[in-house]
Amino acid sequence: MSWWVQLIACGIAAASFSVLLREPRNTIPVSSLVSIVGYSVFLLLGQSTLAYFLASLLIGLSCELAARLMKRAATLFVTGAIVPLVPGVGLYRTMRFVVDGEYSLAVQTGAATLLGICGIAMAITISSVIFSSFWHPNRKKRGASC
Amino acid sequence: MDSITTTLDAVCLASQLILENGGETYRAEETVERMCQGLGIPRVDVMALPTGLMLTLTLEEDNTLTRLVRVHSRSIDLNRIDECNNISRKVASGNMTADEALKALRRIKQPRKEKRFLLIAASAVTAASFTVMLGGGWTDFGVSFFCGALVQWVLTPLGKMKIPPLISSMIAGALTTLLALLGTLIVDSVNIEPVISGAIMPLLPGLATTNAMRDTIRGDLVSGGARLGEAILSVMMLAAGIGLTLSMWGGGLR
Repeated sequence: MSWWVQLIACGIAAASFSVLLREPRNTIPVSSLVSIVGYSVFLLLGQSTLAYFLASLLIGLSCELAARLMKRAATLFVTGAIVPLVPGVGLYRTMRFVVDGEYSLAVQTGAATLLGICGIAMAITISSVIFSSFWHPNRKKRGASC
Repeated sequence: MDSITTTLDAVCLASQLILENGGETYRAEETVERMCQGLGIPRVDVMALPTGLMLTLTLEEDNTLTRLVRVHSRSIDLNRIDECNNISRKVASGNMTADEALKALRRIKQPRKEKRFLLIAASAVTAASFTVMLGGGWTDFGVSFFCGALVQWVLTPLGKMKIPPLISSMIAGALTTLLALLGTLIVDSVNIEPVISGAIMPLLPGLATTNAMRDTIRGDLVSGGARLGEAILSVMMLAAGIGLTLSMWGGGLR
């Protein structure tokens, strides 16, 4: 499959996953678009742990920004947009190696998968902190921190 | 001025809805605080957990009201969270009374007519697109589409039968793997790795993990830890389902 088919598939997957999470209708295109951008960055950076982190950071920041602009909770955007980065292949390979008795390979793959997940989690956390600490459009209202 | 019970009811219901439908714990707490501010309650102490909610309204020096709400079932419905947010925003800015808010919240709480077909279709498309994204071909697309549809079709009744979510995630993992393996029997060219990895993507607890991180970073250590534990367990159960099926298939099921 060529890369553009993969990117389109990524967008469709993110959008339909958002439907599965019962997202409100007008946030779905945003999640889908952000996920495409994030996934292409991830592919360009070579699918390393750092790529997980940087791509998720990009996704997290754009979702937080979108949340502020559209006055909605950031969770609505992030959850759908981040899914394509979740290392499902790593999980599958780890289990495959465990079943085949290749324990050293299983540990290797498992550790890489875990690092990827940690990278994503850190990035989401950092982007959320950046916005809630430095972005106060209206300091009086505590409701500003969505 | 609304009666104080209405206020308490509305506030409790709002944060209960948020906890039940996959919102973060800090959001449930903030909603209570903001709504109380808007309704003119001088002081409120609230403590939300993924499994319950406690709050005390202090009206005067010796006049306090406390309520405990237990949250039993947790599912994901981001639309409801969004609606609760809108209501709490309106109440906080003083554009809505407690009575109106309570009525609106009750309307949100009512079970909706779920379009089951839509959910099954969404699950199928998600699984199939992820398979293509991970490098699968068109036959893999077909198999994965079928996997996603069937898993969602099975998961809904399991949820209604009150099967614990951890068990149903194991069943889902096992089912996906079994279907993909059966697919290889029917069509030779099926590449099993993208099919299974793609089909389990919608089953991974992404929302629980991000919520856990967001809760932890805001200092809700108890909720963050609990949610993280839930997410890790659910991934492990999913992996166990996959591993079990793979090893049984390798060990003579074929």
